[in-house]
Amino acid sequence: MTTSSTRGLLQATGLCLAFGGVKAVEDFSFDAKPGEIVGIIGPNGAGKTTVFNLITGVYAPDKGSVVLDGIELTGWRQDAIARQGIGRTFQNIRLFKGLNVLENVMTASDPYAPYNFFSAILALPAKRAADRQAAQKAREYLDLVGLAGMEDARPESLPYGLQRKLELARALAIQPKVILLDEPAAGLNPSEVREFIDLVRRLHERFNFTIVFIEHRMEVVMNLSHKLFVLSFGKLLASGEPEAVRRNPEVIEAYIGEEE
Amino acid sequence: MDYIYSILTLTGITMIGVMGTYMVTGLTGQFSFGQAAFMAVGGYVSAMLTLKFGLPFPLVALVGSAAAMLTGLLVGMPTVRLRRDYISLVTFGFGEAIISVLNNSAQLTGGAEGLVGIPKRVDLPLVIVSVVCCLFLVACYKNSKYGRQCLALRTDELAARSMGIDVNRMKLVTFLFASAITGYAGVLYAFYSQYLEPGYYNWTVSAEWLIIVFVGGINSLTGAMVSAVILTSLPELLRFASAWRILIYCIIVLLIINFRPNGIFGDWEISRLWKKRKPVQGGLP
Repeated sequence: MTTSSTRGLLQATGLCLAFGGVKAVEDFSFDAKPGEIVGIIGPNGAGKTTVFNLITGVYAPDKGSVVLDGIELTGWRQDAIARQGIGRTFQNIRLFKGLNVLENVMTASDPYAPYNFFSAILALPAKRAADRQAAQKAREYLDLVGLAGMEDARPESLPYGLQRKLELARALAIQPKVILLDEPAAGLNPSEVREFIDLVRRLHERFNFTIVFIEHRMEVVMNLSHKLFVLSFGKLLASGEPEAVRRNPEVIEAYIGEEE
Repeated sequence: MDYIYSILTLTGITMIGVMGTYMVTGLTGQFSFGQAAFMAVGGYVSAMLTLKFGLPFPLVALVGSAAAMLTGLLVGMPTVRLRRDYISLVTFGFGEAIISVLNNSAQLTGGAEGLVGIPKRVDLPLVIVSVVCCLFLVACYKNSKYGRQCLALRTDELAARSMGIDVNRMKLVTFLFASAITGYAGVLYAFYSQYLEPGYYNWTVSAEWLIIVFVGGINSLTGAMVSAVILTSLPELLRFASAWRILIYCIIVLLIINFRPNGIFGDWEISRLWKKRKPVQGGLP
């Protein structure tokens, strides 16, 4: 793995995407320095998740570019972008229901597993060793987020908070340079939110990856982010230090205008 | 005795065919309504090679499976990119096309009259060994990185891609492997029944295999196999009810689908019996 000073540098420039006549994202630029925690906030429907989908290749932007570590990823396939080192979690948790908790995390190593088709169908020693190693690594990630001992459980049988953690462990397991978290604290109760903030801090200290997250909970936003970007109607409304952004009158207006 | 012997043999061959359907439907979540056509390819290619060139059985069995796999590549390459419902249409059309070709190239295949004079090379012991071997291969496949990636993309393609899984490639590899296995079932059938006719391979066979997979449990290879045994021998066991047996068969299938929507076995696999048991702690609030 490279340890150059640009590791985890994510830059999106002039992203545009329209669905028919609706401009979901319009000329949105942002950047995250290596090891930085960046928050993207904005009213509902502002296009935050669309930005994530543009970065991860779910949609190709109409205009604009996404660059990670100096490599332009615009127009790449979604799985290729993931392998380049961008992991993500989803707003509505998307775990693999056909697999147990451990296997969910193991899917992260599977695209790289060093054995071929024939070792797989014959269960040759190379395959078994590689799978054992992958399981071991997956267990470590489960341990990290506090899911040790639940390896055999079905993901859908876990309580909501643990499902969020499992999704996080799964994203961590691809060893991303940048990890995108889409409303990671949604649906968590206040004590779970505090626990979650601590967890993200701990993981960030340990792996020092770049984190970009979308969140509505101010507690999370203010506690975690080094830098904030505010989206409204697909456009960048404001950006900068969290405290400064919070006091920005335009931002306050966008939020209050949205609330009943 | 001969009668039971032949039911067992045909059940074994069906089990192998169902393994192919299980892989395509159970692992990658696609519906193949043309799976039986791969059986036709395997059967016809191997039988014709023996009849025209007198090649030995082990060789033609290999070539037959490979031919089915190659056909799978032809169908799979364009279809894995399609949405699930279109895949059913394409495989259905492909299956019927294969039957048409077999029917209309009478000089080569004997057309609708069938291909006769295939030597008998397959008996019950060989079928049993084949079932065990194929089952081993498919079970290992399911339990490997391939199986995991397939199951992942079956529940959520978008999330699978976000984990770096090459969804189209996984679908294609699985489809090819399934085609080869199904082709092998075709080889066994050809050299057991000594007679081939195109009509045997139409979409109703593919649909029957799909029913078998769903009744057994789409998540369970064990379920698919048990249900293959039950549903293949059931029409025979119901023979006393002659005219009613299809109806009874349908009712049994409907009851199972209604009351156990995940199939008889859900996602239970027999391998769990000998995997060491660890306390499962999930589900605590």
